[in-house]
Amino acid sequence: MLRLIATIRKEWLLLRRDKAGLALLFAMPLVLITVMALIQDAPFKDYQEVKFDILTVDNDQGRLGRYIREGLGASGQFNVIDSIGNEPLTETRAQQLIAEGEYKISITIPKGATAEIVSNANKIVNDISKRMGLASQLPVKAVVADSLAVQLYFDPASKKAFKSAIQQALDNFLTQVQTDLLLERIQMQLRSRDSAAAQDTFPAIRLKAVGLKETGVGEGKQIDVISNSVQHNVPAWSIFAMFFIVIPIAGNMIREREDGSLVRMKLIPGNYGSILSGKLLFFVGICVVQFYLMMLVGIYVLPLLGLPRLQLGVNHAAGLLTAASIGVTATAYGILIGTLFKTPNQALNFGAISIVILSAIGGIWIPLEVMPDTMQRIGRMSPLSWGLDAINDIYLRNGNIRYVLPDVLRLLGCGAAMLTIAAVVEQRRAG
Amino acid sequence: MNSIAVNDLHKTYAGALTPSLQGLSFSFAEGKIAGLLGPNGAGKTTTISIICGLVKASAGTVKVFGLNQESGSREQIKRVLGIVPQQIALFPQLTALENLVYFGNLYGFKGKALKDKVMAHLEAFGLENAASKEIGKFSGGMKRRTNIIAAILHEPKLLVLDEPTAGVDVQSRSMILQFLRDYNAKGNSVLYTSHLLEEAQQICEDVAIMDEGKLVVQGSPAALVNALPDCRNLEDVFLHYTGHALRD
Repeated sequence: MLRLIATIRKEWLLLRRDKAGLALLFAMPLVLITVMALIQDAPFKDYQEVKFDILTVDNDQGRLGRYIREGLGASGQFNVIDSIGNEPLTETRAQQLIAEGEYKISITIPKGATAEIVSNANKIVNDISKRMGLASQLPVKAVVADSLAVQLYFDPASKKAFKSAIQQALDNFLTQVQTDLLLERIQMQLRSRDSAAAQDTFPAIRLKAVGLKETGVGEGKQIDVISNSVQHNVPAWSIFAMFFIVIPIAGNMIREREDGSLVRMKLIPGNYGSILSGKLLFFVGICVVQFYLMMLVGIYVLPLLGLPRLQLGVNHAAGLLTAASIGVTATAYGILIGTLFKTPNQALNFGAISIVILSAIGGIWIPLEVMPDTMQRIGRMSPLSWGLDAINDIYLRNGNIRYVLPDVLRLLGCGAAMLTIAAVVEQRRAG
Repeated sequence: MNSIAVNDLHKTYAGALTPSLQGLSFSFAEGKIAGLLGPNGAGKTTTISIICGLVKASAGTVKVFGLNQESGSREQIKRVLGIVPQQIALFPQLTALENLVYFGNLYGFKGKALKDKVMAHLEAFGLENAASKEIGKFSGGMKRRTNIIAAILHEPKLLVLDEPTAGVDVQSRSMILQFLRDYNAKGNSVLYTSHLLEEAQQICEDVAIMDEGKLVVQGSPAALVNALPDCRNLEDVFLHYTGHALRD
């Protein structure tokens, strides 16, 4: 125990005197997560959070145009713009504005669209009435317009996902209008048939028997919630920064080997493992402190910069266990690199580049879920991805220790494997 | 009893074309200052590393005070062995006191007793006023002296020193050599390697000269010099046995 405590104290004294190392371990990661959360805020915002200007040219001036304008306005996602500088918007002007990149979307409701929908609804109702032996007929247009469509124009730089979301929203409005009109016509026809019945008591036709309801869940393994930039970036880049502890650890190990203090430590009676355990514990402790400092930035500093507050979930013991497990893996990786490489330069270059690669494939830069399937499979082998998965499980799904145990065991197993490899390499050197 | 007995020691490192040791045998009696001498590449460092248990021999045996390095006595050997490596095996960012307290802790010493012991050694080596100074800011001689203190905290019966006076000034060298005599006078054994043959002749009671992984000759410096009529000192003896060809 004395050897372990003495080593922790020695590492603390060494770190305290290494101002650059302290900056690398604490100040730089805090700057990193702040910058990353800020610059990645916009791409992470949902369409619900962003309001888009939508140019609306209503050549119909009927019910469809009104429905679409009201629906878009009510959704809270769009600012409906139907005039520019007190001039009513025309389709040509709208196309020009989109082409110039001034606006992202424009819709044109064609002339006669409402009439076409009404006529179509009437035709259906007439058909039903005729089959039921009813006499009354609703007016139907003699000539059916070909390919009458609400015209959409997108900025060419618009992303595919964005286009589909808009198309889907508009498609919903169109369906809604057509359904409403059809039901209204059916109701009208039924009323005319039962004219003797009291009109006020005639029951409304309700089409939506089953609806949608979203309910939050505490547990559920699907990784489908990346709620905002802070919730992704703060834990993700914190894990990335924790792994950068391999640089000081590897440098520390190589220096000890070069200056002979490693030999001195090995020649002292007692197990060298207790000295290594002291080193491991110290750096795991540093990783945990690093992690929680970064979480504090997410909770208290980022909201001051206009970003959402970081949510830590409800199970703090699980959070601490995960942070410590990530620390064990990162420290073990540092020890492995410090054992494998002969010079600090080799260790620094390999360590830094390998962490960048592991973080990129592990979903630190962008969530794994948006990567191609093959990359997702590769990414799930990265320890950084296990750490991030576990943190997301705790912070976003209120997961507990049992819930994150598989990821924690993976991290600890990986750490143990790396320490074993380091021990074997060291033993071979002695041979 | 012998402090060290090396018998038919062989060592070939993995991937090496030539063996580092080829049947090396020598022994030093307990309580003596002994010198292990040889040109660059002779195998001195490999021999010391095997004696300390840092490197495994390919064949042969090493006994330290009768304890066999290969038969599970390694921990016992560590207790009686103090090593002063050629490098300054200390943490440059820590002060002398912090370094020595740390290594003392590793030996199992603690508290005031350890601090008093460290301060006594620092005083003996003229470093008491530099106890709170970082090792990185020490002169070469101060570093060498602190390096020796770190090896004697547990009062080893055998002190092994690899080039302990390399790169130090005359005063520091004189102090180190006097310390070795004093340490030996307390009944401890000293094994010392150096390229400074005048120094070896001055303090060693027994020397073993080795070359190409084998023992060339062993005896007291005076006996070795007297045995060769054309040799006036140990350096002449050394050149006589190892030749004038450059070793890199």
